[in-house]
Formats: sequence, C-alpha cells, structure tokens
Amino acid sequence: MAKLRIQFENGDPEKVIEFDPAKAPFHHDGKPGSILDVMLGHGVHLEHACGGNCACTTCHVIVKQGFNKLGESSEQEEDLLDRAPGLTPTSRLGCQAVIDDPDAEIVVVIPRFTINQVSEAAEE
Amino acid sequence: MTAEPPAAAPARRTTLIARVESIFDHAADTRSLFLSLTGGKHQRFVPGQFISITIPLNDETRSRPYSIASDPEDRGPFEICFNRVAGGRGVAWLFERQVGDLVDFSGPFGAFTIDRPPAAELCFIAEGTAIAPIRPMLKRALASSPSPKAELIYAAPDREHILYAAEFDALARTAPSLSYETVIAPAEKIYDRLFELAQARWVTADADRTRHFYICGVGKGVIRLRDLLRGAGYERRSVHYEQW
Repeated sequence: MAKLRIQFENGDPEKVIEFDPAKAPFHHDGKPGSILDVMLGHGVHLEHACGGNCACTTCHVIVKQGFNKLGESSEQEEDLLDRAPGLTPTSRLGCQAVIDDPDAEIVVVIPRFTINQVSEAAEE
Repeated sequence: MTAEPPAAAPARRTTLIARVESIFDHAADTRSLFLSLTGGKHQRFVPGQFISITIPLNDETRSRPYSIASDPEDRGPFEICFNRVAGGRGVAWLFERQVGDLVDFSGPFGAFTIDRPPAAELCFIAEGTAIAPIRPMLKRALASSPSPKAELIYAAPDREHILYAAEFDALARTAPSLSYETVIAPAEKIYDRLFELAQARWVTADADRTRHFYICGVGKGVIRLRDLLRGAGYERRSVHYEQW
C-alpha cells in the first residue's frame, strides 16, 4: 500500500491516506492516481479551480518526502508552477503528480495561499 | 483513513453568488451568460482570468472553470462564454440557466493574464470560444499607452463561430496598432492551418524573437504551437498559453 501524508500550512490537522495505486482513479478530477485524485477520492479536500486540468495553480503542493517517487512533470506543469506563489524546488501540481509506486511514502504540505489574484478583495 | 475510497470529497468552499442578468446566443451551440454579484457589487478580475463555477450533478457537485470574456473596466455584469460539447454535463447545466437564476462560484483564478502588457509586439491566437480570455487581454493591451503592435489570429470552423466579429472588425478599423485576421477551416484542420500560419509569419519570415504570444484553444494543437514557437527561439516565458 502507498501512503500519502498531508500537512496543512493553515494548521488543519494532518491526514494520512493509505491506498492501492492500482485502483486509481479514485475520483474524477486530475490525472488518475495523482495527489489530487487520491485526496478527493478519500474525502480530503484540495483546491482545483480548473477542474484538475493543469490550467491553474490552485492545487500547488510542496513535496517534503518522496519527490522522486512521483511521475515526472510536464513542460505545461512547469510553466504553471512558474506562476505559483511560494514556489519551492519540490513544488508540484497535485492534479499532475502521479503516485504509481505501491511502496511510495509521500509527504506533502498544502500551502496557505494559492494564486487567486483578486478574490481576497473580489468585490468593490 | 482506509484503503477503500469513502464518499467523494466535499465540494470546494463557495465564496460568491452571481445572478444571471442576461443571456446571449452567439450560435445555436454557443452562449454567453452575463452575471452580476448578488448585493450589487462589482466583480474584479484581471484580463484572462476565469471563475470556477459549482455545478450540481445528481448527488455531488463539481467545479468547472469558465474564462471571463468581458472587460474588467466594464462596470456592468461580467460575461462567461461557452459552447455545447459532447458529454459535457457542466455546460449542459449552464445551458439550462435562466435569467434570474443564481450561480455559485469562486475566483477569479488563473495566471494566463495580461495586467500590464509587455513592451513588445503581442500576438494573440485563439479558436472558437477560447477567444473568451483573449478578448479582454487584447482590449487591455490596446488601451495601454503607448499601445503595442498587436495581432489577433482567430480561427473557427465557420463564420458563425467567429464570436464578437463586429467588435473585432471595429477594433481593427480604429486601432492602428492592431492587425486582425480570421482563419476559417474544418475543425480537424484548424490547428494545422494555425501551425502553418505561425511558422510562415513568426518563424521563417524574420529573425525577430522578441514577440510575446498568447495562445488559447482546445487540445494538443495549443501545445504544438507552443513547441513550434519555443523551438524557433522565442523565450519560454514569452509564449503564454492556456490549453482547454
């Protein structure tokens, strides 16, 4: 069984998901077996404003452990990550980072902020 | 947590509610909804951004993105534009909305934007409803001072699906820095035509690699255009794109 440990910068309690990657997809958004797919399919919310289609950065996660266990990122993902606030060398988009190793132990941090340039003051 | 998936994740928190103020059909399969925030306040956004609409489907909800097609400087309702797609349940739900209906959404989101245009020639490429984010981006660029040289290449399978045609024709007449061209081609040939055009105009015609590109469309054709331009020597960060 693969294990995905999720920590939240906003202080929400940590979640741990154990799952069989061979059973992906678990939900209907993001690449099958992606961090987003695993989280949504196990009742853990992760923003994905574009529907998990690699068109925004709201599912940005920071991988603390197991970065090399994830599927490789595409140029499109890298282009989007360029625009993600709080980018780190181990940043990934949750909708694109696929966990297919059944022995993987992945730890991710969900940043407090996503790119949402205006919504903090959406109305005037 | 268990290995077996429990019920699907709860819907993302909805932060805003909009009322459908009016509806405009561009074609039988292409529609715009004009939305206003309940409470009468103005929705702020950056040209190119999208909102994420909560779509109720049976016993669950999904969030689906829709680019804002209107100009943020307009003080009235903001506009989203969409077309029917085979199996597209979200868009089918949107087609059922009537004037006065309420729509939950969050955002705006997105990094495919122009806030302040770069000091460079700007080349916009869009097809069909993917003109939605390009339209306010182009207007923002043309409204800047000095107005940059800009080119809009807009493709569709027929004239009926060239949206905002009169508006773009008028812009091309009144904005001397804008060049506007339509490409009419069968749907399966659109990106071949755009690829040929881009290659002839921006790759082989000259050695200028200072242009900035803004490409929006559906499918892998967008990536082909990206790769063509980057492969020809344009800076990675000068080739902006949004693939639907």
